Amino acid sequence: MKLVTHIGEGLNNLLTSKLRSILALLGILVGTASVVAMVSGGELATNEALKQFKTLGTDLLAVSISDASDENHSEAQQSFSYDRAVRIISSDKAIQEVAPYTQLYNNIQFEGHLINGSVLGVSNSFANVVHVELDKGRFISQFDGYGLFCVVGQHIYQEIKKYSFRDPIGAQIQIGGNIFTIVGVAKSWPENSFVYANVDYSILIPIMTSMALSKFVMINNIIMRLAPDSDIDQVKNHATNYLNNNLGSKSLYFRSAKELIARMSKQSEILTIFLGLIGGISLLVGGIGVMNIMLVSIIERRREIGIRMAVGAKRSDIRSLFLVEAVMLALVGGTLGVIIGVFIAFIIALFSHWEFQWLFLPPFIGFTVSAATGIFFGFYPAYKAAQLDPIEALRSE
Amino acid sequence: MLIQIENATKTYFSGANEFTALKGINFQLQQGEMIAIVGASGSGKSTLMNLIGFLDRVTTGKYLFSGKDVSRLSDEELASIRNQMIGFVFQSFFLLPRLSALQNVMLPLFYRGDPLPLAKEKAQHMLKKVAMEQFMQHRPNQLSGGQQQRVAIARALVGEPEVILADEPTGSLDSKTGQEIMSFLIELNRNEKRTIIIVTHDLNISEMCQRKIILRDGNIVTE
Repeated sequence: MKLVTHIGEGLNNLLTSKLRSILALLGILVGTASVVAMVSGGELATNEALKQFKTLGTDLLAVSISDASDENHSEAQQSFSYDRAVRIISSDKAIQEVAPYTQLYNNIQFEGHLINGSVLGVSNSFANVVHVELDKGRFISQFDGYGLFCVVGQHIYQEIKKYSFRDPIGAQIQIGGNIFTIVGVAKSWPENSFVYANVDYSILIPIMTSMALSKFVMINNIIMRLAPDSDIDQVKNHATNYLNNNLGSKSLYFRSAKELIARMSKQSEILTIFLGLIGGISLLVGGIGVMNIMLVSIIERRREIGIRMAVGAKRSDIRSLFLVEAVMLALVGGTLGVIIGVFIAFIIALFSHWEFQWLFLPPFIGFTVSAATGIFFGFYPAYKAAQLDPIEALRSE
Repeated sequence: MLIQIENATKTYFSGANEFTALKGINFQLQQGEMIAIVGASGSGKSTLMNLIGFLDRVTTGKYLFSGKDVSRLSDEELASIRNQMIGFVFQSFFLLPRLSALQNVMLPLFYRGDPLPLAKEKAQHMLKKVAMEQFMQHRPNQLSGGQQQRVAIARALVGEPEVILADEPTGSLDSKTGQEIMSFLIELNRNEKRTIIIVTHDLNISEMCQRKIILRDGNIVTE
């Protein structure tokens, strides 16, 4: 009951000196906002990364193959046959499945209408490795060989539907100079960082066909699915050896889940350190502000303290009265800080193209940190108030 | 015997200096008495009042309250006994400015730990007794001096203390209002057998009490 009354009186007192209270809690506000933004930002970034890997699994390794330098360009293109590309699986036991793919940039036409999209040459393993699920029909099969069959991405399918109400399976679509028959429609596909294309906006054709269409089409990406908990660095070494032996000097660029997570967390780490620094300094300054205002308030209210003691307040009563007031000052700052911090996190998410979520932890941390600051910096003034001599306190003006 | 002070001294130390405000005082008070402590400033009357009111402790000597030795109590014990046994009335009223009259009167009960509804009821009853029931929700700065002193008396009485300790209770009031307050205190003493100690330098006030003690230079000169 005493606590409730102390809270009421504390609020009352803060409201009677509004401007001063606002100035005192400004530091706490900025500090808490930074902390909340920091924790929210970090968590949103992690969630974003996890969201990708939840669908993909963390056991993927992708390698991009490009010419070591532009000078080699005129030389005869030393290219990979599909068979040799697939045989990379034998370079390390940890590699369980491989999906090489090619990229083409031919025009796509459907019933005379130009459709925006890219063309990927894939094998049947592609669906497994990067999780392409089918809406209708079937996926590219190893028996398609050099056949003119294709699977269209969900967005392409939506485009096609604008021009034809017919079942897309069996319909024909023109890629470059060739007519392909649609054998499947892929479901909407969550984009991921291992594939340099969005399946939704792509038409998938058999990889052999793609390589036969033009001599410039090469296998320049291979995605590998590894056994769980395999040594990624060792796989990389073995794969590099294999590729160098088969392709000569090419530059290889590997991407693994580990590296992608590391890159993302490094991004958010800079943010974390920056905001953490601001938060820490602001909370320190804010805490000192609270302490200062409480010390001033105690000097002004010496007589009040004396009166309370005269009617029987114990030292502990006086201490909790002022401690509650300091904590409330900090908590008001903390509440505003949490609101602003969540807003900052929202802005960060907006600009980083992350999905914004309401998180429980950051506001909780914000409140805890601001209350702790209030208790820590309010304790000394409250202690000082409690140690006043009642006679002197009563005598003071 | 309600209050018994034996050979009490009070010495203040500040740095190398020391100052003895009370030099061996013997003083007794029966339950139901109304007594004036009179003296010029610096005579030690405030010090004596602080000792009696448990705001301070004797340096040497003894203080017995209701037969119990209370000379060497801890701060917490002093706060508690002050809350239970003493009702203070001050010259400048000393009401808390941000609280209403009712809340001010409830304050001693709050520190005693009474439940809020009970404290409120007692405080309302006491404000009625000092004829301040229409002003319960007023703040001190909305009340006249006499009204504020009535609220202060209600606050002193609300905890049913053994002793009302009034320090120059009429000092900030005009003579007519001061007279009213004195009459009220005298009535409390006569009708309810309240023990009242009035500290004053005003001889007119001290004449109204049954008994007076005069202090000079830290000694009681006449009883």
